[in-house]
Amino acid sequence: MKFVPFLLKNIFRNKRRTLLTMTSIAVSLFLVATLLTVLSELENPPMAPDSALRLVARHKVSLANILPLSYRQKIQEVDEVDAAVGAAWIQGIYEDPANIFAQMAIQADQIWEVLSDVKIPEDQKQAFVKDRTGAVAGKKLADRYNWKVGEKIVLKKGLWPADFELTLRGIYEAQDESALYFQWDYFNEAMNNQGIVGWYWIKAKSAEAVPRVAQKVDAMFQNTTAPTKTESEKAFVLGFISMMGNVQLMIKTICTVVVFAIILVAANTMAMSIRERAREIGILKALGFRRSRILGLLLGEAMSITLIGAIIGSVGARLVFSGVDMYEMTAGFMQRFLVTGETLAICIGTGLLIGIVASVVPAVQAARRPVVDALRRVV
Amino acid sequence: MKIPLKYNLRSLWVRRFSTAMTAFGIGLTVAVVLFMLALIHGLDSTFVQTGHPNHLVLIRQGSQNETASYFDKAIFDIVRLLDGVAKNANGEPLASGEIAVLINHERTGGDTTNVLIRGVSPVAFELRPEIRIIEGRRLRGGVRELIVSQSLSKRFKGMKVGDKVRIASSDWPIVGIFDASGTAYDSELWADYNDVAQEWNRPIYSCIVLRATDAQAAAQLRKRIEGDRRISLEVHDQKAYYQAQTQSSVALKALGVIIALVLGIGSCFAAMNMMYAAVMGRVKEVATLRALGFPRFSILASFIVESAILGLAAGILGCLLALPLNGMSTGTMNFLTFSEVAFNFRLTPSILLQGLLFSLAVGIVGGFLPARRAARLKLIDVMRD
Repeated sequence: MKFVPFLLKNIFRNKRRTLLTMTSIAVSLFLVATLLTVLSELENPPMAPDSALRLVARHKVSLANILPLSYRQKIQEVDEVDAAVGAAWIQGIYEDPANIFAQMAIQADQIWEVLSDVKIPEDQKQAFVKDRTGAVAGKKLADRYNWKVGEKIVLKKGLWPADFELTLRGIYEAQDESALYFQWDYFNEAMNNQGIVGWYWIKAKSAEAVPRVAQKVDAMFQNTTAPTKTESEKAFVLGFISMMGNVQLMIKTICTVVVFAIILVAANTMAMSIRERAREIGILKALGFRRSRILGLLLGEAMSITLIGAIIGSVGARLVFSGVDMYEMTAGFMQRFLVTGETLAICIGTGLLIGIVASVVPAVQAARRPVVDALRRVV
Repeated sequence: MKIPLKYNLRSLWVRRFSTAMTAFGIGLTVAVVLFMLALIHGLDSTFVQTGHPNHLVLIRQGSQNETASYFDKAIFDIVRLLDGVAKNANGEPLASGEIAVLINHERTGGDTTNVLIRGVSPVAFELRPEIRIIEGRRLRGGVRELIVSQSLSKRFKGMKVGDKVRIASSDWPIVGIFDASGTAYDSELWADYNDVAQEWNRPIYSCIVLRATDAQAAAQLRKRIEGDRRISLEVHDQKAYYQAQTQSSVALKALGVIIALVLGIGSCFAAMNMMYAAVMGRVKEVATLRALGFPRFSILASFIVESAILGLAAGILGCLLALPLNGMSTGTMNFLTFSEVAFNFRLTPSILLQGLLFSLAVGIVGGFLPARRAARLKLIDVMRD
């Protein structure tokens, strides 16, 4: 501890250099923290509390293939199934084709059994179920378009050749507040009762039952013309993300390269600063400081600089992103954008590592140099 | 009076270890920026390169793209016989009714995604002369078989000639591999129209592609079709139709800009650090130059030039590091068609130039303050020490 003032003196000896090094590390680790957050949000999307109870059954060939309406009853009769509703993806146009958000037609009679973790006033629930052209929207979505309960929402012909004129009956709060739901019955009527179901949303009685339900449902339809693929809600969501390709590899590669670049820059700075002090270090040794102590002092100095830079960069990222509405910025693509404690720990750990790697070579050299040599060199 | 360039080059050489470290550090960031640019450009160019002049793409009103479009087969019979549709050597109209469907398939990496199958009739090949069969043979109708693009064949499991792709309850053998010259068709499987319509139980068309005899005929056809209430299709110029899909890379572009910006700032600080050290280590030299009569401005210019050289060296290094990327194949999801788009990284001369300009800018911006510091050194103070 008694060496802390000495360390600080050395750190601030060349204020400008220290500041520049710290800033370049802070800026780079800000980027690393941002990229790691993108990665963690994609790999581990926030899931709703009852998500572990829900499954999605879709056509095995692709989500764009439709399933028979008759499947619903069969699924409901499977052991350990609590509720099941058919749903269809709508993709209508709300005012402008650039307004993209999730729109789903859903069988309303059991919607609140399946979406059991959605927070919505009881009267709004009932109002939605009773109104054939009713709709409910997530709070974030409603805020984005400034919708109020009672709002008329018109979805123009998009994926389906029909317009849907809806009345907003409720606004819900949930983990995912980016979707609009309306009654599948209304959709079906507009589509001349073709009975189009894109997927079934199933709620199991317990989380342990989920794999058993998935297996039973798939086995039931295996040899039909419309075989299903049933998976947990989380697996379903992750499936979408994996479609984007190897984002993980891309982000990890960029982070590694950036960290390597900082190491080079920091190593250069440390080498300069240690070289300039060759004589001082000789004097310290002449005074009786041990090699290990000198090495410790030099490493400590470098690590302090990189650590402070890393803290500024990563904590800065956390503060910046907590103040920015990423849902708005990314037009609903990122549900949330939280720089997690884990990400902070990785960034700060990386900062320490950069300090060690960047200074170890010049520090060891300096600690090893014979006193006479060091004193002679500069004089 | 100008300070000779040789002075800067020698100064950089004297501190070669430090120069190399800084140049390499900045070079790595240039390589990352080039990586993003090459990725975005590669994705965009598959769309930009697709389509021919006087070709029209017709899809259902409001559907925005062919995977979301479907319409009655009778409409095709009206459209193909309209005046202004070009004819082939046999006098057949060059109009192709096609169906686009998706299948979920496993990539070689193990994750699954959607790929597009286009159900076509022979005239479709006449409308895309860029498609060449490079292995196996052409499609035959009525026997449920597929041909696959070379890029998909490499990126997906079980898509070599002779393999079978399982779709619902039937197996479709792959009989050929085609090369579509870097266009959007390089991300598709093709099959016979009737086979697909039957398997999917959808006797409809997703789109019509046709060639107009000339630009004037194209304009007239557009007016004619959009005015016909029986048809209710949107008419798109084929090139514009694909060009519009470049917006699928919007998220990547935003990420690219953020990365370039942040790394640019970080690199400027690194360059600044190195140049401050260079200036402070050469205080006596600078004073001597001043004493010899070089004006302040020459000193300022000289140090900025030195930093610019450092930046340029870093840029060249970055370009060399990024060069192996060129032509590497990758793929992502096209959010508009909801299917895989396979493409190659493209490191064009103009992108390399952008990388060099980026690093040059880093050098100049990073070098400015240290250079000003050098130019403002007080002669008396330095000489007195």
